[in-house]
Amino acid sequence: MSALQDFLAAREIWQVPLAASVIAGALLGALGVFVVLRRTVFVSAALTQLSTLGLVATLLAEERLHIETEHASEQLLVAIAFSVVGALILGALRPRRLPAEATVGTAWVVSSALVVLGASRLVHAAHDLGGMVFGNAVAVPASDLAVIAAVAVLCAVVHGLFAKELAFTSFDAETAQAVGMRVQLWDSVLFLTIGLAIPVTARALGALPVFAFLTLPAAGALLLGVRFRLAFPLAAALGVVAAAGGYVLSWLWEIPTGATMVALAALLAAPAALRRLAG
Amino acid sequence: MSGALVRLEGAAIGYGRRPLLEGLDLAVAPGEFLAVVGPNGGGKTTLLRTLLGAHAPVAGRVVRREGLRVGYVPQREHVDTIWPFTAGEVTLMGRVPGLGPWRRPGRADRAEAGRALARVGVEHLAEKRFGELSGGQRQRTLIARALVADPELLALDEPTSGMDPAAELGLMDLLRDLQRNGDLAIVMVSHRLEAVANYARALAFVDKDRALFRVGSLDAMLRPDALGALYGRAVAVREEAGRRLVYPLPSNGNGEELR
Repeated sequence: MSALQDFLAAREIWQVPLAASVIAGALLGALGVFVVLRRTVFVSAALTQLSTLGLVATLLAEERLHIETEHASEQLLVAIAFSVVGALILGALRPRRLPAEATVGTAWVVSSALVVLGASRLVHAAHDLGGMVFGNAVAVPASDLAVIAAVAVLCAVVHGLFAKELAFTSFDAETAQAVGMRVQLWDSVLFLTIGLAIPVTARALGALPVFAFLTLPAAGALLLGVRFRLAFPLAAALGVVAAAGGYVLSWLWEIPTGATMVALAALLAAPAALRRLAG
Repeated sequence: MSGALVRLEGAAIGYGRRPLLEGLDLAVAPGEFLAVVGPNGGGKTTLLRTLLGAHAPVAGRVVRREGLRVGYVPQREHVDTIWPFTAGEVTLMGRVPGLGPWRRPGRADRAEAGRALARVGVEHLAEKRFGELSGGQRQRTLIARALVADPELLALDEPTSGMDPAAELGLMDLLRDLQRNGDLAIVMVSHRLEAVANYARALAFVDKDRALFRVGSLDAMLRPDALGALYGRAVAVREEAGRRLVYPLPSNGNGEELR
């Protein structure tokens, strides 16, 4: 049997993880347009780490303090809490005495250090954590797929209903505020969707691919020079191709799934970047 | 002034609880052209944003006429040009506050955006990317966005900053023309008194470092004593070809100003 025949024969194993990867790729790709244009790529990196820190906290609580958090839903809720609170704080940052990047960088580096420190104290769950951080979409339960799909629908509805408010307040917060729009509210709505999307997709794909999908597909779409509204479906499509293609290639070539997805996302963005460099 | 669109009453402006300037009284009436002049970092933008309600006053109060329609033109450099919006799409954003959260811009809104672009003379650029426009074209697009909401008060923050003299003159002429047919009030922040001396009807001098806030008619404020208070040195006002020229006088090297 060829590797491809093996893959097709194992449909029962990969259909849920592949569906989760595809939805996550589309969701993160589309949200990434705001992340890239608002110049908050580093915020998404910090949120991804904060989400991972939430998972580490639940694993530590279980192993060290014997607090029952075995249920995936409890772990996910803690990760969402870390990410959403972080998103609301980091998303609302306005430069005062220090540039916003200083606070975002601090959040990223401190949460990264805490993840490493927490992971070093884990005994039984250390292996699982590796998959959560670097990506291991091979095994995704159907319940996780349902959560990812629900969050994707929620984000699509919110962004569909409030597209013009999110666009205006993100593009020119100063003017929006001056003409009476509630900029902080719309910033919170935007970063709430990002803060929700990160932990639910990070559980399935891992932190590294999530950060990559929030950056590379949107960058690729924007470098192609499309208009604002077209950038969303194009970035979502690039995210889907990177997620699905990366999943299939990693299976066929027996290489790490998350890293393959990231490499493919970068490869898809490369022609647009080269075209821009040449132009 | 009972018919004022907006007024400050004993206001202290600043950030948080820290006042930059205190005891400010100021009223903007329909049809007014008020230029807020002072050095960079002197508190002009804070004053403007307090008038608009974007900043709460540290003390005193800001009274705005109920339902006041405001158009705002930010400093051009504050608008990020990496966003892939066309000039038409940027202009259309001016309709967003009036639409409310559930309605999308329709055909009528797009027609209004087209008319606003035509009013400032850049309707041919509607499909062009905002980031690819020249500085002057971007400024006109931002003015179109402010006009598309049919404002009673148009507030502009350093609209001529970084412009060459010809473009600056063109923009100031445009603002004067916008006021010709109607009661549009303009409040314009500028660090260049020369730019507004031939257009504004009233001037406010603002400098937080010297606790300076003076407001009055153009003629009253262009007197040597008032200008001296703003610049901290002698200032000349001359008329040439029907235009006022305002410039600080250089010193002779001994701390004495040349006249």
